[in-house]
Amino acid sequence: MNMIVCCKQVLDPEAAPSTFKLDAANNRMVQPPEIKPVVNPYDEQAVEAALRIKDKDKAANKITIISLGNNLARDVVKKPLSMGADELILLEDPAFEGGDSFAVASALAAAIKKVGQFDLIFCGRQESEWDDGQVGSGLAELLGIPSVTIAKKAEVMDGGKVKVERIVADGYQVLEVSTPALITVSNELGEARYATLKGIMAASKKQPVVWKPADIGMDAGKVGAAARKSKIVKLFQPVKEGKCDIVSADSPAEAASLLAQKLRENKVI
Amino acid sequence: MKFQGVDYYCIDDLLSTEEKMTRKMTRDFMEDVIKPLVVDAFHSEQPVEMRKFAPQMGELGLIGPFIPREYGGPGSSYVAFGLISQEIERVDSSMRSFAAVSAGLVMFPIWQYGSEEQKMKWLPAMARGEKIGCFGLTEPNVGSDVSSLETVAAKKGNKWIINGAKQWISEASIADVAVVWAKTSQGVKGFLVERGTPGFEQKFMSKKGSMRAGDVGELILNDVTVAEDSMLPKSGGLKSPLSCLNMARYGISWGALGAAMDCYETALNYTGERKQFRAPIASFQLVQEKLVTMLIEITKGQLLSYQLGRLMDAGKAKPTQISMAKKNNVGVARMCARTARELLGANGVSLEYSPIRHMANIESVYTYEGTDDIHTLIIGQDITGISAFGGGR
Ligand SMILES: Cc1cc2nc3c(=O)[nH]c(=O)nc-3n(C[C@H](O)[C@H](O)[C@H](O)COP(=O)(O)OP(=O)(O)OC[C@H]3O[C@@H](n4cnc5c(N)ncnc54)[C@H](O)[C@@H]3O)c2cc1C
Repeated sequence: MNMIVCCKQVLDPEAAPSTFKLDAANNRMVQPPEIKPVVNPYDEQAVEAALRIKDKDKAANKITIISLGNNLARDVVKKPLSMGADELILLEDPAFEGGDSFAVASALAAAIKKVGQFDLIFCGRQESEWDDGQVGSGLAELLGIPSVTIAKKAEVMDGGKVKVERIVADGYQVLEVSTPALITVSNELGEARYATLKGIMAASKKQPVVWKPADIGMDAGKVGAAARKSKIVKLFQPVKEGKCDIVSADSPAEAASLLAQKLRENKVI
Repeated sequence: MKFQGVDYYCIDDLLSTEEKMTRKMTRDFMEDVIKPLVVDAFHSEQPVEMRKFAPQMGELGLIGPFIPREYGGPGSSYVAFGLISQEIERVDSSMRSFAAVSAGLVMFPIWQYGSEEQKMKWLPAMARGEKIGCFGLTEPNVGSDVSSLETVAAKKGNKWIINGAKQWISEASIADVAVVWAKTSQGVKGFLVERGTPGFEQKFMSKKGSMRAGDVGELILNDVTVAEDSMLPKSGGLKSPLSCLNMARYGISWGALGAAMDCYETALNYTGERKQFRAPIASFQLVQEKLVTMLIEITKGQLLSYQLGRLMDAGKAKPTQISMAKKNNVGVARMCARTARELLGANGVSLEYSPIRHMANIESVYTYEGTDDIHTLIIGQDITGISAFGGGR
């Protein structure tokens, strides 16, 4: 089975919120040097989903990682290789910057068409910078293949169909999908494995393939920010205000009814 | 909130992609898996269960990272080994003791002085974390002066009979095998003594005020009879155990910086949030001076370790250079732990914050693998040509 996993480099979502900076005038996020980039955590789980299929038969399954961005940190984007993926393609160019979900999905679709052979595509359910969660479905649409979103398990069955467990509000659905298909993976899949030192040493011998817009048949003036279909009207960091009102009364019963009254006044209940 | 590293001088730019990946992998594992356990382990003096975690550390390649692939190790660079030590000790020195003892004091002598059979028997199993070793050099009457070893091994037919006691031995009670150094008629030799050998006792030492999350204990050898091939055939003289110490000291020089970084980071965050006199305490000049001193010393230590690592990778590092990095960086960690403890006020004496634990642990690190004084004398002798060890030396 040929599997492709789309992995995005993001700012570490676990860094202190106070270190995140915005360029409000240009509706952009600023990359503070003190926050290190990481692989988007959901994407790591997408890699894990593919690796669990590969674990069953290492020789028969191949995993290709595609990452899109600019100035990608090699120690970050190579992580999936050190976990056990086989190949890494980077769509890396300044022109790719500033894209929205549509721009990203379009570039990924063009790259995947160039790769040619694939049975399964895995994406994370969303990425941690914008949390849009649209690239996976958009990519499936552009490639004209079925997609199953928010999966917690994906297993290849005899005959080649894929059984997917998909998270819903009160449990999960079990679906079967024929290949080629796209699956977006949720955290319910479970922890992604750690890289290993042996994996890191093996990854050091693999050079990523770097594609520019022209390599995937796209015009550099029509990718990234130029390909956006959506526009950010206003980007701002909400200011949190904490105010504390102490309800005091002579008895607990009286305090409770005063509290209920205040909550009602403030339309909380 | 995750640790983002201390890198005031862009030393990251000097690291290879693989070295950075190794550091991140170690950091993630230590933060997720080990860090939640160390405070309770330290408090109760019930060591982190290495039987359970060594296999996981082995799978990641954290045990004996520089051991070549043919013996089951990943064969990484010495800088990568250093970064692994740093990230482990950022969480707890006793965990780094485990890593340094395994790699430097047990796997290294087997690799360097062992027979092919000994290497194949122990190295891959240790690299996988299935077998654990310890290193017995120190004795009740023998500390800094290792030339006065009292443990003896006598040849009887095709067996060796070992008698003696080893004290202050990391991983003593858990080890499957001990590298025991003893005097013989052929000079000092290393012996592999396996758990369960008649006359061989392994004891845990409690009531320690330091390294309480780890295993430290005693080895007692009472007419322990081992086969001829238990001796490390290529070991000979004191230079054999001392060469092992070099490897472990190298790991310590990086590890100590990990502890220092954690103390600095803790103090920086705390002083930014703690308010007194209607202002964050980090806004006071006296507090800033302390934070800056920590950062400067950590940064100088990083440059020392980095260059030492590259010299190790090039096979050019001198033992005296390792002594300098061990002495300096452990001193830095000791200062940072105290300073951070101080900046946290009363909270600084609570185990809920890491500095007091690091502070207690670093006292062991200051003493083991050559005390701070001994490293001064090693370097002093190197530059003057005169031994100042005194006594009979
Ligand atoms: C937690 C822990 C784990 C350990 N793990 C191991 C282990 O796994 N294996 C092992 O073999 N050992 C281990 N050790 C022992 C350690 O290596 C020794 O403690 C160390 O070598 C110092 O010996 P000592 O404690 O006997 O001190 P001593 O040698 O008695 O020194 C006491 C003091 O005298 C000073 N001193 C000694 N000689 C001189 C001199 N010539 N000039 C000036 N000052 C001098 C020292 O610097 C020190 O301040 C461990 C120790 C600890 C605390």
